[in-house]
Amino acid sequence: MKRICLFFMLISVLSWCQNKQILYGFSEIPQSMLLNPGGKVTNKGYFGVPLLSQIHINAGTSGTTMYDLFANDGLDFNLKLEKALYHMQANDFVTINQQLEVFSGGFAYGNRFEKDKYLSFGLYQELDFIAYFPKDYAVLAYEGNQSNINKVFNAGHFNAKAELISVLHVGVNKKVSEQLSVGFRGKLYSSVMDIDATNNTGSFVTVNGTNNFYNHIFNLDLEVKTSGIASLNNNGATSESAIKDLRKRLFLGPNLGLGVDVGFTYQLTKQWMVDGSLQDIGFISHSKDVENYKVSGNYVFEGVNPLFPETGVGQTAEDYWNAIEDEFNELFKVDTTQTAYTTWRPVKLNASLNYAFGKKKYKDCNCLRDESGYQNAVGLQLYGIKRPKQPQMALTAYYFRKVWNGLQTKVTYTIDSFTFYNVGLGISANLGMFNFYIMADNIFQYKNIYDAQSVSLQVGFNVLFKKNED
Amino acid sequence: MIKQLLKYLVLIHGLLIINVGCTKDVDFGQVNDIVLTPVVESSLIYINEPTSRFLVEGVEVSVIQDFVNINIFQETFTSSYLIKAVLFIETNNTINRAFIVQVDFLDDLEQLQHTFSFSSAASPTNSPIVTEHEEVFENASLERLKNTTKLVFTLKVLPGEPINNSTPGRIILKSKGSFYLNIEN
Repeated sequence: MKRICLFFMLISVLSWCQNKQILYGFSEIPQSMLLNPGGKVTNKGYFGVPLLSQIHINAGTSGTTMYDLFANDGLDFNLKLEKALYHMQANDFVTINQQLEVFSGGFAYGNRFEKDKYLSFGLYQELDFIAYFPKDYAVLAYEGNQSNINKVFNAGHFNAKAELISVLHVGVNKKVSEQLSVGFRGKLYSSVMDIDATNNTGSFVTVNGTNNFYNHIFNLDLEVKTSGIASLNNNGATSESAIKDLRKRLFLGPNLGLGVDVGFTYQLTKQWMVDGSLQDIGFISHSKDVENYKVSGNYVFEGVNPLFPETGVGQTAEDYWNAIEDEFNELFKVDTTQTAYTTWRPVKLNASLNYAFGKKKYKDCNCLRDESGYQNAVGLQLYGIKRPKQPQMALTAYYFRKVWNGLQTKVTYTIDSFTFYNVGLGISANLGMFNFYIMADNIFQYKNIYDAQSVSLQVGFNVLFKKNED
Repeated sequence: MIKQLLKYLVLIHGLLIINVGCTKDVDFGQVNDIVLTPVVESSLIYINEPTSRFLVEGVEVSVIQDFVNINIFQETFTSSYLIKAVLFIETNNTINRAFIVQVDFLDDLEQLQHTFSFSSAASPTNSPIVTEHEEVFENASLERLKNTTKLVFTLKVLPGEPINNSTPGRIILKSKGSFYLNIEN
């Protein structure tokens, strides 16, 4: 019990999310196409430097920060823990999201006069994890039930999900008119490992009883579904064979799924633009290497009557004892099944409204240079992600500026579940054909990283074939 | 070209410095100090019977006894973290007979580890006579509790006015245990 409690306490301070508000709409970076397949295309082709084209990690917590708990401040750790426990709610969560692009590329195509279509493709690995703070379990472990008579402990507070997948994708972007671009990306998911514990219900409550002081009412329906994990725990599995197995699953594992991204960009006027996208509308079907663990049952315990056991017809006192023991064993018995299951990917929504302004003033005319664009843009972006309990939303205001030709920056201010003062900074630099980008949010939290509610970092290298080099 | 390159390098370098981040003094070793002190309370045994239950084929049975095998105290979790236990029993007698409740705690070898008993007075007017008994297990008595694998319950109806099928009243017994845990490294 202690270990479980501690585990949840720890993960609740090590948390990650997956909003990429700085990258969204940053059309100079090819990876922005992954966030909106109908986004603006600013190059005629690119390829990512293998394994280095996008490294994304993102950290945060909607509850207590690591520093709140572990600061070396001489305060009693248990007091800090208690404060964290009562401060956090069951809807507080931790999420980890990490992505690594293995390879990616894209090129424009179309008729001879206008290459108005763009094909992009790639393979990336993604780790996604979310766990909600199991508040009632923590309270029960911390206080026990003595001071909580009549309090209904919600067994549904145990809610967590983790998946490690690889995604092979191909996307098409088409410029339908001068104003409108639309895009579509098909995805083939290959699940490496999956743990799903998002459908737990039930309760435990101690109420005043009639025959005895208390009735303890158990009503449990808990299930943890897993795929890709049982075989790794097999006796025959060595670490070598496991790694080999995992590597194989990264490409075409036994558990596959399909999904799509859709998106558009619409130029309202020369300066106003809206865009939007939905990512990861898809599922993964888990049928191989599945192992599910289920605990379910109802039982009311009011104690035992040893001297006058309420035996049924033909039941001896021993049968009475065995029946009570069986009820408890049955209640807490973990049933293992191999039933196939389907998981839905977390659908993500992005939408933005943008206003560009400030044309570059030329000292001398260089008519060959494609400088039709504005130097600055401001806008509002909305982000949402479907999560097991409820969607998480974020609202971002940004300022974008082309500092020099080939150097763009974007500053963002985001309000989300983690914090109300998240400032992010991104930069994309081109040096010849070489593109480098780096972006991080919550930059003011870096002075003490342990006290950050969330931190995210994206970095990548690409080789770009620019349009204006035609 | 070189000037431009330098410009980029300075910028990238600046951004990296921002991102490297500083940390203030933290001590993850504090996790070893964690102490959980829940108090778990549970119903234990109960009796709620009319006088007629003390008759077998019209003959009064004055001693009723049964036992329960328990292994909860042998489990590592309980034996390591239980620091105190309180057994609370309440009887409510409306029969015009006094009785004694006795609980014996036996170990694996049927050796007596602990025992206690208390009595309830008779109720001549059949009004409820409420008797409470609290048994606290700490230190040495707690250790003996942890050795216990069998509980023997005895209900002795003391001599008095004979009971028959129409003798009014009931014996009600309720009990609960409070288990104080101290879970730490």
